[in-house]
Amino acid sequence: MALPIANQIRRLRFEHGEMSQSELAERIGMTRQTVAAIEAGKYSPSLEAAFRIAHVFGVGLDQVFQWSPG
Amino acid sequence: MSFREKSAWITLMTVLACFGAYFVELFGGFAGGNHHFGGLQSIHLLLVSVLALAVLQIALTAIAALTTPKDGRGPADERERMIQLRSQSLGYHVLMVLAVGLFAPAFFGHRGVEMANFALLAVVISALTVSVAQIVMFRRGA
Repeated sequence: MALPIANQIRRLRFEHGEMSQSELAERIGMTRQTVAAIEAGKYSPSLEAAFRIAHVFGVGLDQVFQWSPG
Repeated sequence: MSFREKSAWITLMTVLACFGAYFVELFGGFAGGNHHFGGLQSIHLLLVSVLALAVLQIALTAIAALTTPKDGRGPADERERMIQLRSQSLGYHVLMVLAVGLFAPAFFGHRGVEMANFALLAVVISALTVSVAQIVMFRRGA
């Protein structure tokens, strides 16, 4: 079931030197499988993890995650 | 596949194999009309099953660790911890239901080692539930 939270992680990774999921995972202290699940919209990260992801890309939280109900 | 997902598969397969063989052997006579089983001689069978389980799990877990890339065998992250908590919660509820269900064999006259084997079966089913739930959640993403 798709979660009501969209994200721009794939685009942001591409814009940051085609960063791999593994590299992002290592920088935020998670596994590659969890990054893949977040990116696919199958898992909503904790607020702390969401801030860590935004921090890696140097953008605000709302530029990484968007609420998209229905 | 992450190390923890491999571990869930290893637990599922080894518990199924070792305790499956144990209970098939133990309850085999029950279907054949022998309504009393699991005497003290079943302790020997149980020890062999537990030893086989331990050896298989140690060997397969070592192989899984060696064949998993570095990014798949770090400390458990928040999603993996959540999967573990949810699956253990489900396993706990299954165990509670089965524990209450132990009144049934007691009602039909089973005692002692036989009842201990029914309790062991409940624990095994609960463990299998935890492993299956983990595998399903790992496959789905969360």
